[in-house]
Amino acid sequence: MESKPGRIVVMWGHLALLAVITVVVVYYWMDTRAVSMQTVNLLLVQPASIFALLLVLCILPQCFRRVSEGEEIEKESLSELGRVFALMAVFITFALSMQYVGFDVATFAFMVIGLFLCGERNWFLNIGFSAVFTSLLIWGYGAIIPFPFPLTIL
Amino acid sequence: MVDLNSLAGAFTLLTSSYQAWIWLIPGLMIGLFFGAMPGISITMAMAIFLPMTLYMDFLPAIIFLTAIYTAAGFGGSVPAVLMNIPGTTSAVATTFDGYPMARSGRHNEALGTALAASVFGTLVSYTLLMFLIAPVSRVVLRLGPLELFAVAVWGMMLIGSLASKSMLRGLLAGTFGVLLGTVGFSSAGHIRGTMGVQWLFDGVPVIPAMMGLLAASQLLGLINTKYLIEDEASRQISFRKIIDGMRGSFRQPFIIGRGAVIGVLVGAIPGVGSSISNLLSYAETKRNAPDSDTFGTGNPKGVIAAESANSSSEGGAMATMLALGIPGGGATAILLAAFAINNIVGGPSFIANQMDVVYAIIFANFAQAILLLIVGLGFVYIAGYVVRVPLRFLIPSVLVVATFGSFAIEGTAAGPITLVVFSVLGWAMVRYQYPVAATVVGLLLGRMLENELARTFQIGRQSIQGIFDYALTRPGALAIFGLMVLSIAASAYAKHRRRKLGRTILAGDE
Repeated sequence: MESKPGRIVVMWGHLALLAVITVVVVYYWMDTRAVSMQTVNLLLVQPASIFALLLVLCILPQCFRRVSEGEEIEKESLSELGRVFALMAVFITFALSMQYVGFDVATFAFMVIGLFLCGERNWFLNIGFSAVFTSLLIWGYGAIIPFPFPLTIL
Repeated sequence: MVDLNSLAGAFTLLTSSYQAWIWLIPGLMIGLFFGAMPGISITMAMAIFLPMTLYMDFLPAIIFLTAIYTAAGFGGSVPAVLMNIPGTTSAVATTFDGYPMARSGRHNEALGTALAASVFGTLVSYTLLMFLIAPVSRVVLRLGPLELFAVAVWGMMLIGSLASKSMLRGLLAGTFGVLLGTVGFSSAGHIRGTMGVQWLFDGVPVIPAMMGLLAASQLLGLINTKYLIEDEASRQISFRKIIDGMRGSFRQPFIIGRGAVIGVLVGAIPGVGSSISNLLSYAETKRNAPDSDTFGTGNPKGVIAAESANSSSEGGAMATMLALGIPGGGATAILLAAFAINNIVGGPSFIANQMDVVYAIIFANFAQAILLLIVGLGFVYIAGYVVRVPLRFLIPSVLVVATFGSFAIEGTAAGPITLVVFSVLGWAMVRYQYPVAATVVGLLLGRMLENELARTFQIGRQSIQGIFDYALTRPGALAIFGLMVLSIAASAYAKHRRRKLGRTILAGDE
């Protein structure tokens, strides 16, 4: 048997995404079966889950890429990726905390940190823009939407 | 088909008082503004202004509300083009080519194209409505679960056309979306996949999920970019280019006509409406286009197909509402409420006895569409300035607006939580080249697919054989499936011909 030259690179991120999809699909399929084994309950979910898992199996080999000697894989730097993850973390914290710390405080804090992470280094501009934007947004949405939202300062 | 006496009556109604007209432009401006704000649905905009109609006569009230309806339908396409945020579910397909057009510096053309296609679609749909209101309403009454299932399957076929790079990844993204779309209470009364979370009983909140998958995921990935459009010279806001985009739309009457017909027919089906019609029209246009490979990368035909269909759905939904008194969605339910405020009940007797009012509403919508062209032009010109805002300001601002919008839908934390979960998922999917739009289509259609399949199964004596027996008694559903097969076969044949022609030309060159 002829062996191909080069090394195999594992795309860990893609592998993690497939793992998440697999876990969600398997959980949902099993939960659906646990609720009821009636055909009407499984009519769409069961075949769709099996199909999805088969697709995962077919895509799985794509997570392992053979790279020939000297070939460079194009990817962003660690600092670029770090900024994405940092913004993601701040965004998640903002969405989960807004009901507890108040929409005004959460929005202002997210805007200040978000602007900084996105590259705004002028603190006067950063804080000024964040304060004005937060006030306008709270006032605007407050006037339009029929639901009350918790506020701490405004 | 057209009652001339009622037509004359409609003209009299509209020309005898200025009252019917003064609310038109305010209605359009309100609709554009609210439609362009993520999370503020057409229904919400109309609901906010419904109390104002208490102080108006019947016709001005309906004209005011339909002006909001028409303009909000187009307003949703502005954030779809500029920021990949579909303001409403009916603007999903607009993002597929509108946003790539904006990213490549053709934002002016994209907005102009969307505006003209919207206006043209509305005009065609109301023209069709004038002639077809009675027959369309008869057809709607005959639709059963199998026909609705067929329409949903047709919509799902879009997944195939979205998965241009890797069919396997496209199918997985779509199937995953379908599964997520069925979470919660099923039509048979089973609760699945909620993990004990109460707000998931009604299913995954679709609009926040959609905003997360399409918009927030893109924004997270743009953190290392300075502007939406990298090339400084392309960031110009040009009236001439917007007009060029509009001209481009008018050069595609066939795509607009097809979009309008799909929009009217699908829009007339209660509960389906514009959220599917724009996808169907996009899929059909892509399938039949000679340059189908460029769809998804900024082909204006994609924008035309989507916008003409979603705006013409309004005509279809109005047909069902006026002729049958059935609201196809939230917006028409509010129109029916405005009817009720004036002690008028929509339905067959309304059509039979007050056809002049029906025609007056249709004519007023013609005027709305033409005025939308002018008011909308000014609106998109101002909105176009978004591309000049540095992304370091735009990214956190839009993320916050999206979060507020997701909260505004139900007023609970369900919206923001869904938004962040799907933003992260969407970012990972985009990174590994999964078409997130396929997941959105699956999410939109999953529940409908399951419900209609379950109903068909129950009607078919709860057996697979029964489903086939039932299908044989439903010529409408068979016709839809037949049309689908024909359309796929025709596009496969056309592709085969193109490939053969390409080979012949290559051979000739050698």
